Amino acid sequence: MTTAIATAGLVKTFGPTRALDGLDLTVQAGEVHGFLGPNGAGKSTTIRVLLGLLRADSGQVTMLGGDPWHDAVTLHRRLAYVPGDVELWPNLTGGEAIDLLGRLRGGLNKARRDELIDRFDLDPRKKGRTYSKGNRQKVAIVAALASDAELLLLDEPTAGLDPLMEVVFQDVINQMKTEGRTVLLSSHILAQVEKLADRISIIRLGKIVQSGTLAEMRHLTRTTIEAHTATPVSGLDNLAGIHDAEVSDGRVSFAVDGEHLDAAVRHLSSFGIRALTSHPPTLEELMLRHYGDELAANANGNGADR
Amino acid sequence: MTTLTQEPARTTAGRPRENSLAGTGKLVRFNLRRDRIKLPAWLFGMFLFVFYYGAALPQLYQTEEDLQVVTEFTQGAMGAIIAGPGFGLDDPTIESVIAGVYGLYFLLLAALMNILLVSRHTRVEEQTGRAELIRANVVGRHAPVTAALIIAVVANVLLALLVAAAMAAADLDTSDALLFGAGIGAVGLVWAGVTVLTVQVSAFSRAGSGLAGAALGAAYVIRAAGDTITEGGSLLSWFSPLAWSQQTRPYADGRWWPLLLSVAFAAVTAAIGYVLSTRRDVGAGLVAPRRGSPTAPAWLRSPLSFAFRLQRAGLIGWGAALVVAAAVYGGITGPIVDAFEDLPETMIDVMGGDPSRLLDGYVSTMALSFAIVLAVFVILGLLGARGEETKGRAEPVLATATSRSAWLGGHIAVIAAGVAVLLAVSGLVLGIATAVSVGDAAYVWDTTAAHLVYVPALLVLLGIAVLLFGFVPGAVGATWAVFGFATIIGFFGPIMDLPQWVHNLSPIEHVARLPLEEISWTPLVILTVVAAGLIGLGLYGFGRRDLDTK
Repeated sequence: MTTAIATAGLVKTFGPTRALDGLDLTVQAGEVHGFLGPNGAGKSTTIRVLLGLLRADSGQVTMLGGDPWHDAVTLHRRLAYVPGDVELWPNLTGGEAIDLLGRLRGGLNKARRDELIDRFDLDPRKKGRTYSKGNRQKVAIVAALASDAELLLLDEPTAGLDPLMEVVFQDVINQMKTEGRTVLLSSHILAQVEKLADRISIIRLGKIVQSGTLAEMRHLTRTTIEAHTATPVSGLDNLAGIHDAEVSDGRVSFAVDGEHLDAAVRHLSSFGIRALTSHPPTLEELMLRHYGDELAANANGNGADR
Repeated sequence: MTTLTQEPARTTAGRPRENSLAGTGKLVRFNLRRDRIKLPAWLFGMFLFVFYYGAALPQLYQTEEDLQVVTEFTQGAMGAIIAGPGFGLDDPTIESVIAGVYGLYFLLLAALMNILLVSRHTRVEEQTGRAELIRANVVGRHAPVTAALIIAVVANVLLALLVAAAMAAADLDTSDALLFGAGIGAVGLVWAGVTVLTVQVSAFSRAGSGLAGAALGAAYVIRAAGDTITEGGSLLSWFSPLAWSQQTRPYADGRWWPLLLSVAFAAVTAAIGYVLSTRRDVGAGLVAPRRGSPTAPAWLRSPLSFAFRLQRAGLIGWGAALVVAAAVYGGITGPIVDAFEDLPETMIDVMGGDPSRLLDGYVSTMALSFAIVLAVFVILGLLGARGEETKGRAEPVLATATSRSAWLGGHIAVIAAGVAVLLAVSGLVLGIATAVSVGDAAYVWDTTAAHLVYVPALLVLLGIAVLLFGFVPGAVGATWAVFGFATIIGFFGPIMDLPQWVHNLSPIEHVARLPLEEISWTPLVILTVVAAGLIGLGLYGFGRRDLDTK
């Protein structure tokens, strides 16, 4: 597998703010890579450095075998971009904007364009100023996905889409994946990344704090168990890797580290399980673990806005 | 008004009748608070404007003869078009010159003030979605429009009083001051009513105020045509609300009754607006927005053609305005030059300094004026490109296979070519009109050339703006300072006692004033080279800096 994007020690400052603080991001060719982090973590800055719109202060970047700053125009023929906050030209229709952006990239696939307009239920005859946020987003998505670009840089592409359109979007991205394209998908909508991404990287304060497949990350974290038992559960305290256990009157709930899950379930079954639910760790919980120190530091416990 | 919000009217039988004006009083106070800077600024500005003329004209025209010269300008067809029927100008006083010659511009400003005022409190609120927040409260259907109208009425009454006060403050005859002021306020009231009507049509405020502006333009044309047909205005004039105010004849034989027409017209248009507003949804227009093409035309495929597409409407607007202005100013060349015969010496210096060649001086001054107006086009053009960047619209374009220099270069090329074409067109039209007016065909080419020599100087101004764009993008607006300096040196340099090197700082100063002077090519070549250097440097800087993103 070749590497589509590789950054090492990327630093970008805006005045006193360190937007990127030694970012190491690796995206393999042909994968959908989820790029997760809260607002202001540095996702958009990273993507703009990859696009050569911003120049990194230090560190290395390689994308599709080139340098995003020096080889911008050559590289841009091979990639497509959806900005997080899409602005359109007030006097141009959506269709005109799609055609223009496609032509400036070096051509677009007409059949695919029409198919996407149809699937996203977009009216291409409306003027830019009359589109809602969601529809502006659709224009940018169609313009990007109608190309034959091998790399897609998508910055929170579905922030304004309704759930139905999000399903369409997921379909299209999966189709892209089977065609062997590489996708960098940034989001703070965690469920979306969960469904699409082969691997994810979590960015926080301009650094990648964790990177890997979802399975790898889940292994490192806890599963939540809730159960009804015939007889009251006891002895949980003696088991390793159990957290936040609560036992009351035939009900029990606790979180257990991935490696101790087997032992915990065996122990439970000796009390006669009547009902059992288990949650794999959600990405929210993954993120909360990385933001846990901020939560602890915040007396109100409202530090993380997810 | 506020009491209405508390107690919905109850009737003993049937459904209580809804109060469609509920909340009007509160909205008036709310809107006045939001307008606390804008509205006083408008009113105070108009006061100062009138006061300025009232104080300055007596200094400028100290004798009866001076006044006669001014009024000669404004006689005949040209006077009818640019000023109006001009009552009282046969025996001119400072007051009748203000009312008869400059009065029309106060009327236009009053109309503009009301178009913007009503639009921002009605359609702009709906378009931004703020009206939804308001209307979801205990606020009647007609309350927002009524609140806007109440503010407009108050503003126009104040405007009338302030205009009269300005005349008094300038120590002028106040016998017809209130009538003059009322005429101005009446035009304001008419356009408040017209705007209440036009904002109902489209869902977009620009279309609504544009329609009201078009009505103003139509009123101007009808009045101009009507006043040209017969001295003092013909029946046609009376179809224009602008004429009603002018027909009050302030400082001639003043009369109030034409203003009844204004008040009635304002009431009727506003009433139609009310009726139309009940036939549509909040936020919607009566007419669905126009749809465009689902695909881009084949020629729209390069950074250059795209820059042209973005600036096309502006180019057409500028072109149309310049053609009209050039035709008017060319057409009045003959009488104006005759009236210049006994100009004071300082004015002759401004007009080229040669009393025997005043026509050539006039043509070269007009060319300078058009060049300076087009400097505005240059700066606005580059600020437009800067707006594309800061509003986030350049970002998706630069993420395609479009280089920084191609993107900015496209905009620069369109501005540069636009300036050359607009100068050529203004020069040609002014030249033809001048040639017709004075009966000398040679002026067609002379005038065109007199305009075209300014292209390199304007490119230098463009270069300065591009240089700032490349290295200190936040300061592109500083180009206005260069523009201001060049304007002052261009018009008043000859009568100011400044060292030569200060004059040399203005790019426009190096251009020979044709046809008064002989063309000199060396400065033009140097200016072109300097412009190319500045533009090149600016492009280099833009290629090396971060893009400003939202």
